[in-house]
Amino acid sequence: MIQRITVLTRYFSKSMLVSLSGMLYLLLTLAFWFVFFNPQQQTPEEAYYQLVIGGFGTAMAFLVTLSMAARANAAEHYPIMVRLQSRVEMVTAVLASSLILTVFYELVLALLALVNGPDLTLGHILELPPLWLAPMVVAAVLALHASDFITIGWSRIYVFGVLAILLFGQGVQNDSLASLSTSLSRYALNQGWVGISTRLDGYASTLSLTDENVVSRLFGFVFWPFQAMAEAISNGYFTANQALAPAILLLYATVLFLLAVDLFANKDLEFTE
Amino acid sequence: MICRWCWSIYRSCRIFLVIEIRNVSKQFFSVQALHNVTLNIQRGEVVGLLGPNGAGKTTLFKLIAGLLHPDNGHIRPVNGRWPTIGYKPDRLLFPNRLRLSEYLAMMASLSGAPAEDREKAVFNALVQVDLVSHADKRIGDCSKGMRQRLGLAQALMGNPAVLLLDEPSNGLDPNGQAEMQGLIKKLHGAGKTILMSSHQLDEITAVCTHLIILNNGQVHYQNSMVEALTISPHTLIQADRDLSEIAHIVQAQHPEIQVQGSHIQLRGEAMQLRREILALLLQSQYDVLHVEQKHVTLAEIYAKAVR
Repeated sequence: MIQRITVLTRYFSKSMLVSLSGMLYLLLTLAFWFVFFNPQQQTPEEAYYQLVIGGFGTAMAFLVTLSMAARANAAEHYPIMVRLQSRVEMVTAVLASSLILTVFYELVLALLALVNGPDLTLGHILELPPLWLAPMVVAAVLALHASDFITIGWSRIYVFGVLAILLFGQGVQNDSLASLSTSLSRYALNQGWVGISTRLDGYASTLSLTDENVVSRLFGFVFWPFQAMAEAISNGYFTANQALAPAILLLYATVLFLLAVDLFANKDLEFTE
Repeated sequence: MICRWCWSIYRSCRIFLVIEIRNVSKQFFSVQALHNVTLNIQRGEVVGLLGPNGAGKTTLFKLIAGLLHPDNGHIRPVNGRWPTIGYKPDRLLFPNRLRLSEYLAMMASLSGAPAEDREKAVFNALVQVDLVSHADKRIGDCSKGMRQRLGLAQALMGNPAVLLLDEPSNGLDPNGQAEMQGLIKKLHGAGKTILMSSHQLDEITAVCTHLIILNNGQVHYQNSMVEALTISPHTLIQADRDLSEIAHIVQAQHPEIQVQGSHIQLRGEAMQLRREILALLLQSQYDVLHVEQKHVTLAEIYAKAVR
């Protein structure tokens, strides 16, 4: 299994790297360096260096994985699929090759950004792999779900729908929820559902009196690792809780990867010709 | 006693079974690609799959290769373990940037060939399909015929027990087709189980031991090639001129006698009346130009099956 995954990873990485899209991503990396780390401008801070390159890696992981998945979804890979003992091998190879390429582009940017860039201490350098890799893996797995390679029917709508709801929920304020409850309460009263209306009124008044945005915090919990990492970077140190953030992101990635593998294992392979 | 005897026959038949296909159906949106297909693929057989375009041949290949899942029924290996499968799709699509040897080496690695044997396996496959001199050529620069051979070479990597060849001779010149047929025969001789589709009836007749005809997603005909081509023999008698004058007399001899123009065709029991019919023709001042014992052709079987 390891041999097959290694062979496929090498094949996908090489084919993407020397392709037109591979070259375009390299150009994008250089453009990003020129815009955000122009060596003629003043030396960036370490936090800026860590955050901007981490963000670049996350976005790049999404794009590269989308391209890689589209590449893997080609009809020329039917004979390869037949040779594999399990479809997991293909998904793993696509993910691994995407991550390898993303790391390559990120390293190019990171090394170029060091020209007239910040002086990184050993401590900062050791912080970089978990900080950069964890969100990168999550983005790559999400990109798999966005691709035709993995998706079955409405699966990507479900995955990204849940993500959209979580993002939307994160921004919900108590006031808006309270006014929604009041409107619903009026509607329920008009319909003659007095019990429901009274209960909704109760929710509305409770929400108006509460200072904390409960719903926002509930939904925002999912995105806590991203916030924790950003805060830790800007503070310049990790608290014990914040240090868990990369591990939690990797846990998300694992769950999403298992879902992707399950979808791929059960789908009819109709690769593009 | 009889039960034990029947059981032992059943068991011995199962020993030769490689893949069992039972009541398999597959639908793509509103199109019923396969409907209730039941087949047994036996070890060492070369099964020819015939059928018009859209009959469900490629879908059946993809189902056996595990690329598609059946909606109903099952496809399973008889002894519980899937045989290794080499698949040559009908479309000749390959990673164009790779060289032939690189691609085959990758397929050998994926087939589990140890690193030390890979080079030899690639060389052997290239020799088998006569592509040794093009080993370093990029696939993108290969002709259609070379791609067809490459398709077979990659299917052969790792010495698979079952070969699924979707239109293996498509795009080959007559010499290439003959070579492909020779190669398939050689693989059959080496004990490979082969399932191949083709639109060339001559090719199917030349290389296949069994015949399956699909139409509209259903199996319309299946038989061993020997039986298919030896059943319903008939005798054809050709006279020197039109036989309409005596047609009613000839046809009165037996209902399985057909008269058409200057030809008389005798089928089934009517073949026993050959001498009488010849005598009748001579008496009626006809000259007999040709008498031939004929068998049904694959084209006739196909035409009847897909009608």
